[in-house]
Amino acid sequence: MNGALDIVTAVLLSAGGLFCVVGGIGLHRFSEFYQRTHAASVTDTAGAGLMLLGLMFQGGLSMVTLKLVLVLAFLFFSSPAIAHALVKAAHGHGLALELEIEDEPGRNGDAAG
Amino acid sequence: MRPGVLALLAAVWLSLSGPYTMHELPILIFGLLSIAFVWRLYLALDRAAGGGSEFFRASSWLRLPRFLVAFALKVAAANLHTTKLILSPKIELHPRLRRVPTSQKTSFGQVLYANFITLTPGTITLDLRDDELLVYALDAESEADVMDGSMDRDVLRLEGGSD
Repeated sequence: MNGALDIVTAVLLSAGGLFCVVGGIGLHRFSEFYQRTHAASVTDTAGAGLMLLGLMFQGGLSMVTLKLVLVLAFLFFSSPAIAHALVKAAHGHGLALELEIEDEPGRNGDAAG
Repeated sequence: MRPGVLALLAAVWLSLSGPYTMHELPILIFGLLSIAFVWRLYLALDRAAGGGSEFFRASSWLRLPRFLVAFALKVAAANLHTTKLILSPKIELHPRLRRVPTSQKTSFGQVLYANFITLTPGTITLDLRDDELLVYALDAESEADVMDGSMDRDVLRLEGGSD
């Protein structure tokens, strides 16, 4: 394996790890359930995505890379399904969501188009 | 598309663990059985869903790369924004709920759009009802990513509805 690819992999793995840690920090720092799911999705997307991408550089054009691509594809279908199931269950069972539904865009003057 | 799904399943299985010599005849048989089983499952699910999975026509596959690039860029930008929110010294969030209209014609397209929103950190889809998504956003900037309708257009373009 040549040096440049190893460096790319190292950078991507580190960045992915960093995003995983950030997701974990967010999970603790955010104050309630719904906000925390957002922090977790940083781990799911940037964390897992960058790490898998880094590993693909090690695999080159091979079966290993194809499998990593499939892992990524399945992850990108399953993780939003899980996140959605969590928040829908919480919402459906009346976990307080102290928000009004805003129907008119721009009512607060901050919904940039 | 149904034979297409069968071909896709066979290709995935063959490339991941297919037998490449005739010594592995039992594996071939088990492989074919598992493909038949998953395909059967897919047909049943498709029927239960009212046949909404005609989404992926051949032309959609051709548009997939462009969609994936747009998708990756949006998810990356949202990740950076959410990371900023998480690491800021003082957590200041202004969460909000919004109804977001969907313009996809197939249920698969709508689900893809809803998943796109959920995968983008900072926004999450709570519900899908009457062609409208209920979206929970962390703050104004995350919300604007959805409200400007660009993700909707990305999915619509993949579906083949416009452009």
